[in-house]
Amino acid sequence: MVSIGSTAETMKELPCLGQILGRLCWNPYVTVGDTNRGLLLQCLLGLYSENPSNALERKANQWIRKVLCRLATEDDDPAAQILMKSTGVPPKEYHLRVLKKMVKQHQENIEKTCCSKKSIDQRCSCDVILTTSEVFVPLLDCPEASPVICSLLQRPGTSFTDALSEDFLDALNSTDLRLAVDETALVSVWYHSLPRLEEAVLDLLEFATSTGSAPQNLEQHISKTQLPKACAHHCSMFLVVNDIFRSILKQAEGNLAVHSVIQTFTRCFLKELEELQPRTAASLKAFFPQSPTSLLVPLLTLPSEMPQEAWKNHLEWLTASLQRLAEQEEEEEGDSQSSRGHHNVFETWFLLVQCSHWVQVAGELLVTSEAEPCSNLLWLMTFYYHPTNRWHCRAALLEEAKEAWRHLRTLSSASVRPLPTDHLQPLITLLSLKPQRPSAPLLTLSLMVYCAIFCQLPHSQSVEIFQTVVHAAGLLHEAACVLNSLQHRLNEGSCSSRDTVHVRIKKLQSTVTHMQAGVNPHTPHNRDQWELCCRGYRRDQRPALSLPQPSSFIICCEHT
Amino acid sequence: MEAVLKNVASAVELLAVAAHSDAVSQWDEQTLSRAFQWAGYCEHVYTRFHTNSAIRRVVEKQLQHTNATLRDAFADYNEVSFMDLPRCEHLLLRALLNNPQLPISTIRILFGLKNGTSRRYHYQEVTGLCSHLIQCKSACEVLCPFSGLSTVSAEAEVQGEMLMKRLGALLSQGSDPSQAEHFLHSSLPLCEGAARHSCLVITAALLTASDSAGQTSSQSFLLDWLQKEHGVLQHMGSTLPSAVLKDLAGAHRKFRDAYFGTLKKWASEMEYSLSDGEWVPACTAAAPALSFPKMVEHFSDLFDACPSLRRNAEDELLHLKILDGDFDARGLSVWGDILSEVKK
Repeated sequence: MVSIGSTAETMKELPCLGQILGRLCWNPYVTVGDTNRGLLLQCLLGLYSENPSNALERKANQWIRKVLCRLATEDDDPAAQILMKSTGVPPKEYHLRVLKKMVKQHQENIEKTCCSKKSIDQRCSCDVILTTSEVFVPLLDCPEASPVICSLLQRPGTSFTDALSEDFLDALNSTDLRLAVDETALVSVWYHSLPRLEEAVLDLLEFATSTGSAPQNLEQHISKTQLPKACAHHCSMFLVVNDIFRSILKQAEGNLAVHSVIQTFTRCFLKELEELQPRTAASLKAFFPQSPTSLLVPLLTLPSEMPQEAWKNHLEWLTASLQRLAEQEEEEEGDSQSSRGHHNVFETWFLLVQCSHWVQVAGELLVTSEAEPCSNLLWLMTFYYHPTNRWHCRAALLEEAKEAWRHLRTLSSASVRPLPTDHLQPLITLLSLKPQRPSAPLLTLSLMVYCAIFCQLPHSQSVEIFQTVVHAAGLLHEAACVLNSLQHRLNEGSCSSRDTVHVRIKKLQSTVTHMQAGVNPHTPHNRDQWELCCRGYRRDQRPALSLPQPSSFIICCEHT
Repeated sequence: MEAVLKNVASAVELLAVAAHSDAVSQWDEQTLSRAFQWAGYCEHVYTRFHTNSAIRRVVEKQLQHTNATLRDAFADYNEVSFMDLPRCEHLLLRALLNNPQLPISTIRILFGLKNGTSRRYHYQEVTGLCSHLIQCKSACEVLCPFSGLSTVSAEAEVQGEMLMKRLGALLSQGSDPSQAEHFLHSSLPLCEGAARHSCLVITAALLTASDSAGQTSSQSFLLDWLQKEHGVLQHMGSTLPSAVLKDLAGAHRKFRDAYFGTLKKWASEMEYSLSDGEWVPACTAAAPALSFPKMVEHFSDLFDACPSLRRNAEDELLHLKILDGDFDARGLSVWGDILSEVKK
């Protein structure tokens, strides 16, 4: 209509338009939904001519005004009108009260004729749910209807073939819901609507990665979204969420914020799961079907759940298992079955990301243990940041890690001022991206952070080193991520000896914040990458409930 | 009080301007918003003072005065009464939308279509007010066919509440009961088509559980009125389903007695038709009338609902049968025939 031009021309092109629009105005199924009503009114007003130039346009204007007036102010129930006048109740209040009462009657009907909430395992066989859901399809975006909609969504249903009508479920995906949604209703919406679940997860990821600095209340925020709890109750939801995480991980490589979210989410999820059922290998397998079974329980066990003395051995065992897996992958390379090997390594690595607490412990032990042979721990950390061995870069990366480690070791044992700059500069170089060779800036950075926190140097000195190096390398955001993750994990434990550690972490965090205030906090590199991968996910990846096989493990050794 | 009167007068003038003047073409969003706030003020005045007959009289006097002035100023001016005050927002909206001088941009605001996008309605705002109204009305229409979920429909229930509330307010003012009766007469018309609706409203009003002394006295007043208005009772008896009548009789003793009286009156107006072999309503009987089997059914239902009534009622019917001659043959006494049917 806009393109056609004047109203007179429009009416010539579409002579029945007025009639159709007029009829639609009186169809309550059209006028009840926000979108349709908005479109209808836009069309009507589109036909209005500000400066009518002929009789047709003038008449159209008059008609439009009349229709709008009738729509908004007329009532076709004369008896009700008489009562409204004599009792002094305005139409707006009357209709609202009637609507609320109708909704209440439906809700009472549901509660009366359907099974009680106690028998959550039984599916309700009555037709009331089906009919009511069918009736309320047009009312999904009507705020007054939300009690019934929440009631319908909260009906127990153990499978996807619930009692709700198909139309209702379809509408749930596409309508702009305006529910006063409480916790259980929200979970029900996700359970019934895959797109909404995806939306919630992507919103969470966007929140965590788009704020200027790594959010320090990440755990709180994640818990508040109710996603971990929902996943603990419904295994299928957890699988979908993990699929989304996998997808994002593959595209947003090196984004430590994403790692943080995944790790924190998994931790929150495990906490919720603990409330529901005792943790057994069998029950866990349902939630982590693709992860290697032998590694599942060892990785999911938190460091705080075992004595500190046992950490080293545990890590050695973990590293050995991971190395075996990685070697298997290398053997199978060039083989037609190579995708299987990649798949295993990817899943193992994904599980490691979900359980990065062990990587943090490795970092801590690297710094604090006196004994020199720590190549295992370094291997683990290298694997964490660079899981693939494409172009056999792992050996080179490991070398680089060792080099970084040597520099750090020297720096942290030197108690001489001024700082030995001949060790600082190589570190800064290591922290920067190198286009030609495979490089490990993130690995070096986290080693730096662990050193700064756990080494024996007086704190002010380690802060100074940290500040200089990180500032020069420009990896403020990433440093903040590492610090926050560490802090989250350490908040779990309650040893008093941790207090000094907490103080150090806090000091480093404030240092980073100060530095960020002076610099654009979000490196363009990360933000563009993030937006790209979010868009890419929304466009391409729609994981079905059956998990797709990751076709190839596309993480390159080089950063984009 | 003076300030209130002045404000009410201003608001009524504003209504007139909105309806008839081309000044509305200059109204921007803020002015529009303020106009609706004035309407809200009038509603507030009503809520505050409608039970206070002294203040009401004063306000009515002011309204008369303002109406007179505005009648002179505007040709087809609609007077505003005290009972129009609670519906001021509606009147303002209607006035504006009927005013051809209202700019289309203002209409867009009212329908929530500013700047080409739809905006959500926030309670008590002006933007999207009409849109929200339409949504409510449409939602009611969508849900209406499914309103057979309880004894009375949602509309009847709400209307019953409205009726009772206003009745309660009138009674609490200590005013003349004829005023309350007049209110009931005007709110519950019994003309063709409206009778059934009125019966439903009365039913809803009587079946709502009373949760206050005021509500009980309103229901009592309504029942007294019903007892006087046989026409209403007859309509109720002939249009309402028997289950509903049973509920009503069970809930209110006065209704039970009045309804019994109505049934007796109906019965007394019956004649035995030899050609049909059945009792039929006499031609002179007032409409609506029940057929004999229907009436027997009503008697049975009444006795089922109120066992305490049964014995006394049967005695009474027996007494009437005796007065008629105490014949056992069919067709001689309507009371005897009713008794024998009911006792089956």
